[in-house]
Amino acid sequence: MASDVVIETRALSKVYRDFWGRPKVQALNALDLEVRQGEIFGLLGPNGSGKTTTIKLILGLLFPTSGQALTLGRDATEVSKNERIGYLPEESYLYRFLNAEETLDFYGRLFDIPADVRKARVQTLIEEVGLGWAKRRQLKEYSKGMTRRIGLAQARINDPDLIVLDEPTTGLDPIGVREMKDMILALKDAGKTVLMCSHLLADVQDICDRIAILHQGELKELGRVDHLLRVAEETQIRAAGLNEECQQEIRDVIARHQGELLSMENPTTTLEDLFLSIVRDSEARPGRRASVESETSNEESETA
Amino acid sequence: MVIETDLLTFFEWLLVGGSDRLPAVLQFLLTAGSLILLALVIGFLAAMVRHGPLVAGDLTYGVVRNAIGELFVLSPRRIWAMARLAIQESLRRRVLVVLAVFVVVLLFAGWFLDNQTHEPVKLYVSFVMTAATYLTLLLAIFLSAFSLPNDFKNRTIYTIVTKPVRSGEIVLGRILGFSAIGTVLLAIMGLASYVFVVRAVSHRHTIVAEENLTSLAINHRHTVQIGPDGAKQTSTEMGHWHPIDSQEKNTEAPQELFRARVPHYGKLRFKGPTGADKARGISVGNEWGYRSYIEGGTEAAAVWTFTGVTADKFPDGLPVELNIRVFRTYKGNIEKGILGSIFLRNPKTGLRSDIETFEARDFHIDSRFLPRKLPRLRKDQQDAGDSEMVDLFDDLVDDQGRVEVWIQCLPRAQYFGAAQADCYLQATDDRFDWNFMKGYLGIWTQMLLVTAFGVMFSTFLSGPVALAATTGALVIGFFADFTTSVATGELEGGGPIESLIRLVTQKNVTSELEQNVATAIVQSIDAVLMIVMQSVTHVLPDFRSFSNVAWVAHGFSIPTDLVCQNLVAALAYVFGVFVGGYFFLRIREVAK
Repeated sequence: MASDVVIETRALSKVYRDFWGRPKVQALNALDLEVRQGEIFGLLGPNGSGKTTTIKLILGLLFPTSGQALTLGRDATEVSKNERIGYLPEESYLYRFLNAEETLDFYGRLFDIPADVRKARVQTLIEEVGLGWAKRRQLKEYSKGMTRRIGLAQARINDPDLIVLDEPTTGLDPIGVREMKDMILALKDAGKTVLMCSHLLADVQDICDRIAILHQGELKELGRVDHLLRVAEETQIRAAGLNEECQQEIRDVIARHQGELLSMENPTTTLEDLFLSIVRDSEARPGRRASVESETSNEESETA
Repeated sequence: MVIETDLLTFFEWLLVGGSDRLPAVLQFLLTAGSLILLALVIGFLAAMVRHGPLVAGDLTYGVVRNAIGELFVLSPRRIWAMARLAIQESLRRRVLVVLAVFVVVLLFAGWFLDNQTHEPVKLYVSFVMTAATYLTLLLAIFLSAFSLPNDFKNRTIYTIVTKPVRSGEIVLGRILGFSAIGTVLLAIMGLASYVFVVRAVSHRHTIVAEENLTSLAINHRHTVQIGPDGAKQTSTEMGHWHPIDSQEKNTEAPQELFRARVPHYGKLRFKGPTGADKARGISVGNEWGYRSYIEGGTEAAAVWTFTGVTADKFPDGLPVELNIRVFRTYKGNIEKGILGSIFLRNPKTGLRSDIETFEARDFHIDSRFLPRKLPRLRKDQQDAGDSEMVDLFDDLVDDQGRVEVWIQCLPRAQYFGAAQADCYLQATDDRFDWNFMKGYLGIWTQMLLVTAFGVMFSTFLSGPVALAATTGALVIGFFADFTTSVATGELEGGGPIESLIRLVTQKNVTSELEQNVATAIVQSIDAVLMIVMQSVTHVLPDFRSFSNVAWVAHGFSIPTDLVCQNLVAALAYVFGVFVGGYFFLRIREVAK
């Protein structure tokens, strides 16, 4: 086994059984995976495809029916591997009667961290996830987005080498999603390995280095995101400042080379970018309607 | 105070054992060993069904190897973190409301506690302690049985077990946390109930001079008399008396009301009606064979032999307390007790004192003081021509410090019932408040046990089922005697299913069932069930034996040996339950 392999699964299978031990669902079938040091690895698939099962097996929350999961070089059911792991579950399953500080302090105590380091880290993390203003409120008063943030802080309390994120962006507003993605990228920059699963394709595409696509418990595709998404037989050109004649000329050139022109149009921005720019604008100039210039809605922007 | 089995000293109990029981250490090792063996076999078989023998062996070995690593390398820091969580959880679930309930119970206790009682201390003490026991145990069951299942339900357990926490630490942390809450609650309840009892029962009278009587308080009055030191004092009523203040208008606070007697017990044997030695007296038909009876007007006697009677311990004479039960074959004067006689006898020389008479009443402790100089038996006097008196230590106590107390019943056809604990030398009193605290310590051990069992059951059962299981363990524990006698077939009426059939068909417990195939099947199922019952009762703690309420209520100091035995036994149970909880949690799939 290469030394930079952080997670390895060998023919990992999981069959859920009913009370009498009869097989009910084959949730995962002979999965072979390797997650390497320092990458962001995405597990992708529709609901019920075995993503969460894989993560639970890797964390030792479930026991495999057959096969083996090795996490940080140790069997997944061994407790000692947890020293270097952070885990953000599907929904942040935290104690609702604790406040943010108490939550992080409690989880921090489960690790072998000196008290002063722990206290300092609790404060840093609360600030980093932007909950400084609500750190004394019980989690039951938190909104979903706030719970996600404290959940992520909880997963980072031990400064782990491997962070496992189960649907990290669900329930977050677009700003939250952006921030979550930035945080994940920052973790990568800090040399951490991230394993995440999601069915939100855009998120995975944005941040993952490598992905595995699961369907009905079986691995369907595995590889680098940029390789997988490259469409070899098409060429995309983006240019600015071309007039009508120039565009016609390009069409002619394509026709001359027996190419097929698929589209040539003014691009639209993504809704995410639009939304983010509106919110930023509104924060910069509070109390005014946002004046994001958009060529298609000149009449409406006059009221701004 | 009923003491059915002789109390062993702590070390005898731990290492030597009694006549019908093994030493505690051996008992623990045997039980623990057989349970571990059973668990391994069951675990192996279950794994074999699913994975075949080789993998099963591997898995079993893995579990055992892990266990040895994880059970004994516990981190105090993590246990404390888990315990703190349990405490915070309890506090935020507002358990302190229980204190308010307890205070309300105390506030209104005066309404429903019998004010006609002759033993107010007994009534109040047993009331407050029982109330505290039920409240605390109920709370302990609910807290412990629902906590872990809630973690599973809310999946908060996911974030715990993906941290480097060992299953044992989760279990132990929970037990410690909830016990800490229980401890605080019990401490507050103990203090509140102590104040309540003392204030409710303490009383003063005013002197009604012309009648030489005191006023009525808590349903009694005293007469005024001259005490042994020459000062005026009241008579002893309901086990206590009052000094009278200098103005002779009011009494002072009651004396000897709150007691914690430290009895010096002897060994009991019997003499039959002809004076022959007997192991037991006559049965008067009571099902409870605790006391046996001696016939009046015959040579029959109950004889207690006390050892270690020295002049240092009892310088002025023997303070004997008697709690003789009376069985009347004719009514006689029901207002009066039955006359009995008491004398002392030297077990070696056979020299005895003359009889003294007393009136035996049911449920009444008769305190007698036998002074150092006692009248010699008249017959002996004539024979020996000696002095009229015998000396306690020179004549009646033999060179090994032994002396016999003989009790006989005087009227013909009346009977005295006696058990070993019914006659004792009352040398000293312990502090009542200290004894009260020891009583609460008994409740504390029960709370600890219930908490531990609740947590253990909740590692593999859902909340309500864990609650039921813990309650079941508690009930079986409280009725351990009964369950054992059903399980051993000592009780008429067969096993559980046979009893059910008898109930439904309204058959007498002693009549034989019809011998046919159905009966045979039922009885063989019962035989298996009875073995299971016997093992279960053998393993579960006998909760009643951890309760010391009766001692405090009856005014007896709880022996330190008993306190130590209970504490050690409880800790042994907690340890066993902790190991069990560890295994159940470790082999369980946390996620679904």
